[in-house]
Parts: sequence; structure tokens; C-alpha cells
Amino acid sequence: MSYARLICKSLFISLAAMACLIFPLECPSADHNDPNAINSIFSDIQPSGADLYDLFGFPSDDKTGGEKVVVALTFASIPDTGIFDTDLLYRINLLPDPRISSSPLSSQGLEDILKYAEAIKSKYLVKNPSEIRVSFNKKNQAKVDFIGFPGGGFSKIIDTNKTVIIEAPDGNPIKTFIGGRDDAFFNDLPGFFRSINYAPQFYNIPNAMKTERELPIPKTLIELEGNRLFNFNPSKPLLGQGEKEDLPKGPLTWSGNKFYKDEKGNYRFVYSGKDARAGKNVNAIILEIPLKFITKKPEQDRIVRAWGESWVLKASGKIKTIPNNGGYSFNFLRQAWAGTVPADSEFNSDVANYKRVDVDGVPFLDAALNEREDDRQMAQNITLAEHYVKRLAHLGWGFGPSISALGLGTCFDHGNSPVSVHKTYALAIEALPRAKKCLFQRINMPDNSWNKKNLDIKPPRTFEIFIPNVASIDMDTTGTWPFGRRLEDQVASRFLSVFLDMETGCGGKPCNIETLQNQALWDNAPILPKTPPNPVKNDKEFLKEFPYLAQPW
Amino acid sequence: MRLFKIMSALVLIASLLLAIQATLGKRKTDYDDELNKIQSDITNAKNDANSPPNEAAAKLSYLLYLQASLTGSVEHIRLAKAKIERTLQTFSSSEELYLAEANINLKLHQLHDANEVLNKLPDLSDNTKALALKADIAMQEGNYAEAKSSYEANLLRRRSWDNIARLAYLKSIFGDIANAEALYVQAEDEISAKEMRSYAWVELQRGFLDFNHGRYEAAMAHYRQAEKAYSGYWLVHEYLAECLGAERRYQEAVSLFENVLERSPRPEVQQALGDLYIFMGKPEMAKAWHDRALATYLDSAQRGEVLYFHHLASFYADVRENGEEAIKWAGKDLGIRQNFAAHDAMAWALYRAGRFDESLAEAKVALATGASDARLLFHAAMIHLAVGLADEGRQLLSRAGQVNPRYDAFHVHR
Repeated sequence: MSYARLICKSLFISLAAMACLIFPLECPSADHNDPNAINSIFSDIQPSGADLYDLFGFPSDDKTGGEKVVVALTFASIPDTGIFDTDLLYRINLLPDPRISSSPLSSQGLEDILKYAEAIKSKYLVKNPSEIRVSFNKKNQAKVDFIGFPGGGFSKIIDTNKTVIIEAPDGNPIKTFIGGRDDAFFNDLPGFFRSINYAPQFYNIPNAMKTERELPIPKTLIELEGNRLFNFNPSKPLLGQGEKEDLPKGPLTWSGNKFYKDEKGNYRFVYSGKDARAGKNVNAIILEIPLKFITKKPEQDRIVRAWGESWVLKASGKIKTIPNNGGYSFNFLRQAWAGTVPADSEFNSDVANYKRVDVDGVPFLDAALNEREDDRQMAQNITLAEHYVKRLAHLGWGFGPSISALGLGTCFDHGNSPVSVHKTYALAIEALPRAKKCLFQRINMPDNSWNKKNLDIKPPRTFEIFIPNVASIDMDTTGTWPFGRRLEDQVASRFLSVFLDMETGCGGKPCNIETLQNQALWDNAPILPKTPPNPVKNDKEFLKEFPYLAQPW
Repeated sequence: MRLFKIMSALVLIASLLLAIQATLGKRKTDYDDELNKIQSDITNAKNDANSPPNEAAAKLSYLLYLQASLTGSVEHIRLAKAKIERTLQTFSSSEELYLAEANINLKLHQLHDANEVLNKLPDLSDNTKALALKADIAMQEGNYAEAKSSYEANLLRRRSWDNIARLAYLKSIFGDIANAEALYVQAEDEISAKEMRSYAWVELQRGFLDFNHGRYEAAMAHYRQAEKAYSGYWLVHEYLAECLGAERRYQEAVSLFENVLERSPRPEVQQALGDLYIFMGKPEMAKAWHDRALATYLDSAQRGEVLYFHHLASFYADVRENGEEAIKWAGKDLGIRQNFAAHDAMAWALYRAGRFDESLAEAKVALATGASDARLLFHAAMIHLAVGLADEGRQLLSRAGQVNPRYDAFHVHR
């Protein structure tokens, strides 16, 4: 009779869940775009190298031998900087495309977004991207598989932590660096979490407690009067900036009705402008790839869509590599004796043995719109179109009134609400009227330097940025976001700018994606601290040459 | 001469290969590595003077809990429970500590306490881990319908390997073997290479599913896969020893049980070894192990613990064949849990005491749960035959044989 097995199971199952409480120093707050399954912001989840941080992609300034695309996928430096986890596999997907002019809108209605999503869907479902697949062996070497490129596929095993030029069978040289670097992301992530009242950044919240993530308190760029859970507390200056405490007892809500102002009438910014990733490293896969290796028609295919994925080896995949009885097969030993063990047998690069964990394409999409949900990790995020409308309206009710309070114009119709509101929507059709302008307005660039060939290229509408979840690298631009993503782009503030009125929001004049990073704006606003929300540059200078990301700390 | 040289070279190579194999074979096991790490962390945590007292206490509580979970030792469980309770009394609440305490209470069959602890959690209805434990409690209480709907609902909210495995186990109890196996396969698919012990555990369940239906070869294959995934785990070895015993590979089974007892001296395993000696026709060898097991069971009961009530009932019924004592302990167990196993134990105890009519009534309650278990059916068959219901008895015996053609082979009382 096995009645006791279930009890044993309960005790057993819970074993794995508490590592972070035991080893708190090994469990930093989450960063970037973690999916919840590996989000170490939760008290019961350990950091993982599967946690992708960023995907950068831009046309290389080096035109020697023709146009080249730089792609860099960064992720948590676990087990260590420059040391890779042999249970993980990474993919960088590349899909070359002609530039298409944005289709005219019929009604600025939901049907426009859905029609756009359908068009994207038919495009993405019929085309297979080319792929660069990277796996690791126990000697910390990387196997780089180039799959589905016009010139065919091939593989190369390379040493990590140094630049290697991989020559493709067609003679194209591909600069490759796989190793540890300084984290190129510079951002006040705690500020963002404060703005959305995200409890796991401040309090010990396990993954299973879903309702205690974004608490039902209005999102805002300036503090709410009496928001005891998230307002800056001078007696606990590091709360949410590395320190956490148990969730206080009492209601997890806010019952005030105005923004906080100090005795001098200043609002308090939820952002500090500090770089939460200063002095921190990542592991990275960086490539500089000739465009003619990616497409046979480089003159036509001016857009390279790129996204990264992390995959974790399944236990059932790993067990195939474990020798029986702790020993090795006779065949293996015979080969070892003769020195003929195939080098690639040390790598497990069959994706069927893995499970996808994380996807990175559009910066901040995961944190802001996908809510880091595991099942929203996809490049083809067409099915999420309606969710994005609802979510953007939810964010608009929070950020919109706080933007207005600062004297800027917002694209979100909050009906002159004097304070941020916590509102959610069940139906996209209900949310759309409020969010319509934000979704359909074209974003403005600060100047024309991005359009280096002065071509007739229009910046995208907001909803076109979010769908699909890929970096669309425009080879005729500098590749600055949203025409790709350059290392120096302050994407966090650029994301926030989609809530500005791009037509007349800045003193009757157009705003642009750099408006919020303008120090003069904050100098003149009734707010403390007087800083742009996010740092203006990275903590370490980027390199002028490959691999571009700075040396690790 | 040339042939001799070749032969010599081959012998040399073979010896070398064996030496390499042996060296590799002597490596520390995964279980040893994990346990050593936990125990080293416990030592460090005890000497940690730098952390704030609440953090240090929480950390040590969890480490002790991890140790208890890994070793299965009742001593370790007691230690962890005491520390967690002290920590929760002294410092602020922590969800993980409450879950750990609930888990321990469940392990100790203190179902009411486990429920009470879970009820202290804020937003219980949104906590999938806590809800899974609630469903586990319902299983133990014999509320199978409630457990099933909770497992299914929880799975919709959080598709994790453990939630899938829970539902698989429930299906297996009611004889839905195909779906149980399919669910275990799905559970394995959710487990990453970072959780090889979890994978081993699910392989163990798949093996036990086969074992319980008389498919020893298939069971053995799963147990070996479990050992391969996570080496040196006493739990895997215990099941492996049981299967060896059932296959009448007695010396191997004895040796493995002894090995398990060296690492995890639990009374259930002592009883199992005693039972095996009885099967082998060596009652004189069985006695010492049975005496030791009984002493530990009784010691636990004297401490006020309830986790061995069920073992005491079956021990007195099957080892001592003392019906009245068996009834006493089965009654205590039934006072806590009303699942099919507890009813079956009471029915069997009453049978041993010769109280056949009462035994029949209790057996009918156990059968009415719908559980499909060969030994439950065998007990019920014997009881029906004893009261003169020969047709029903024969039918039940036939059903037992259908569930497990080898239902009368050696098995461990769990």
C-alpha cells in the first residue's frame, strides 16, 4: 500500500523552491525582461543564465567588404562572467525583409491593429528565419551552428572570451565574440518598478503569489500621497534598491486622491536616474555578420528582423548524455583511448532536447506589456494584440495623469483626471477609445540623424513597434531604436515617451522619444530629484570596434 | 607469439578500461553532493554572526527543512519543525516558512495542523503551492473528489511538473493507469536539466506504477533511469530493493536494504528487511529488524506523534498477527485520515481479530472509494470468504489478480 507516497511527494516537491531564501546574496533582483519562470526577483527563484537581458542590433559602421549587421544577445552571467552553462542553448534568429511602407489606416480602430497583426501573422508563419545556435561544452568552448542561411549551414567550435573570425563556406567572415562583458543596459530599473508598484522588487514575494506582483495601486511617474508601500522612505533608502523586506501587514492598496507634494510644492519623482546595472556584467553572444551572408538580395532586403531565445535542456535530454552506472560506454573509452572522440559530441545542440524559456526582441515589451508571463515569450506575438490594447490603456491611466501634472501633454485620454487611476479592462474595444491616440500616433525622432541616407522612411506607429516582438534593424538608418537598437539608446525612457502627445505635448510643440531624457525639462519642472528618469549613458564607455560592449568588470 | 602479444595488449587495455570505470564509479553520488552542501551550509548558518537575527533564523530553518526533505529522517524532520516553529513565533511571517511547516505537518500526518498553517497564508486562494498542499490534505482525508477537482484547477493555473505528477498519482489510485503514465510523461517533459532529482523522482513513480501491476522488468528500467538521473538516492534504492525482493533476488535485495539502512535508518525500511527475511523463510533473521522497527514506531507514538499509526496497524496485523493491537492503531489512524488505505487497514485488523462482520463493513467502505489496489482487493476477498460470501470473495480475488498478477509477491508496507 503506497498511501504515504503522496506525503513524501509534498515534502519532496517543495525542496527545490526555497533556494533564494537560503542564499539571498546569490539572488539579486531581477533585471531586464525576465519571464517569471526564471525571474529571480521572486524570493523562491534562483538566477539563471537563461534570463535574457537585451537584444541589440544595428548596421555596422564598418563597411569594409560590404554592409554588416551587428547583433548582440546579452544574458545573466550565470554561473559566472565569461563562464557558460552547458545546460543552456541560445538562438539568434534573423529574418531579412524588404522595407514596406506602413499601410494607411482605415478608421484608427481595433480592426486596423488586428488587420496589421493578421498581415504579420501570414508573413511570419510562412517564413523560416535563419538561425545562429550556440551551445557549450564543459571546457567552456562554444559550438556555433549557422542554420538556414542562403549559403547553407555550417558549424564551428570556438573558444569563448575572445574575438574569433569565423569564415563561412561562401567566404564571408563573421566576427564572433562569446564571453563576458560589461552590461550595456543602463537604466533605473527600481524606478520603473516603483512606477508600476511592483512588489517583488521591494518585498519578499514568491512566484506563486500572483496577485502580489503589480499591486492594485495606480501606476505613476510621480509619487502618490500616502502610498506607504512604494513611496521613497528616507529611513529605508535602499528598500527596492537591493534590499527587500517582508510585505507589511494591512491592505495592499492606496486610498489617497492626489499626488504627493513637499512643502515647497515639488512632486517626488519615482525615478532616481541611477544606473541599476552599474558595475555589473553579462554574458554575451555578439556577431558582426555580412548582410550578403544573411540574404541573397541585400539591395532589396533592407530590414533584418532579429530576436534572441534561450532554451534550457530538459532532464530527459540530459539523461541521454549521462553514462550508465557512472561509467562510459566501451565505444566512448575506445575513442578516448585513440583520441578520436568527435569534438562536437561534447555539445548537446539538438533543440528537441530543450525547452524555450525566454525571448527578447523589443526592449521593455516583456516587462511593460507582457507582464513577464511565461506563455507570452514569443517573437510572433500576434495573438497578444488585443491584450496590448488593454494593457496600454491600463498603463495610460497611471502614467497619463502624472505626465499631465508635470505640464506635458499625453496621448492618453484620461478625461483630465487630477491623479493617476488604477483601471483594468476586460475588453480591448472598451480600452481603445482612451488609448487610441497613443497606439496610432507615429513617434517622433529628436532629429534626422537616424536617417543617414535621407530616404523616405517614416518612424513607426506605436503598435507597429510592439508587434512582432523583434528588433527590426533598418540597414538604411543608424539602427537607433526603433530602427534597430544601438548600445547607446536609452530605451527605457524612449518606451515611456510613447505616452507623450507626439503632436503638441511639449508646450504646444511635438514631443519626441528623447524628450524625457532632456535635463532642461526636469530643471524647469516642479519635481525632485531633478533628473531624467534614466541615466543618459552607460557606466563604461562602449568600444568603437568589435565587440563594442565594454570589457567586463 | 603474435597472437599472444595481441591477447596481452587486449588484456592490458581491458584492465585499464576497468580501472577507469572503477575510478569513475567511485565518484561521489549526486545525493552525497547535495546533502554535503546542505550540511555545510547548516554549519555556516549556525556560525553566521553577521546576518540580522530574523534572516539568520529563516535561513537555518530552511536549511534544516531541506536536510529533512532530502534524508527523510524523522529526527531531521523533528529538528526542522521545531526550528521553523520557533522562527515563526519569534519573527515576522514568511510564506515559505508556512509552506515548509505545512509540508512537515503533512509528512507527520498532522493534517489538521497542516490545514491550520495554510489558512494563515494571505491570499490563499491565489497561492498555487498552498492550494496543491490543501489538495494533498484532501487526498489523505479521503476526499478524493475534492482533491481531484483541486488538482485539475491548480493545473490549469500553473502547469508545473509537480502539479501534473499529483494528478497522475490520483489517477493511478483509481486504476486509470494509461492516463497516469501519460501524465507522468508530461510531468517529465516539464523538468529541466537543473532538476535531475525531480526527474529521478518521477521516474520512480513510473517504476512503482509498473511494480504495482506486476511489471517488474519495466519497473526496474525506470528505477535504473532514476539512479542514472540522480545517483545515490536512498529512496530509489529502497524501491529497487523492493523490486529485487519481489523478483526473489533475495541476496541483492537484502544487501541493498542494508545499504539503505546505513544511510537512512528508518523503521519502515527495518520492517521491510524483516518482512523480506520472512519471505525468504528466515524468521530468525527477521526478528531483530522487526523488533527495531516496532520499538521506533512505539517510541514515536509515545512522543505524541501520529505518523506511524498506520505502520503499527499493519505491523500488528501482518507481522505479529495481533488483531486487537492492530485494531487499536488502525482506529487511531482512522481518526485522523479516512482514506481507502486507512479503512483497509482497519478491515484487515478486524479480520485478524476474527471480527469478520465488522471487518466486512469496513472493507466495503474501503472498496466504495473506488480505489483499484491489488492488496486492498486481496484483503477484501479474504474477508468476504471468511464471512461465507464465496462468490464475491472469488470475484475480488480475480480482480486483485487482474490489477497485479503478482499481488502476493514481496512488497514494502508504506
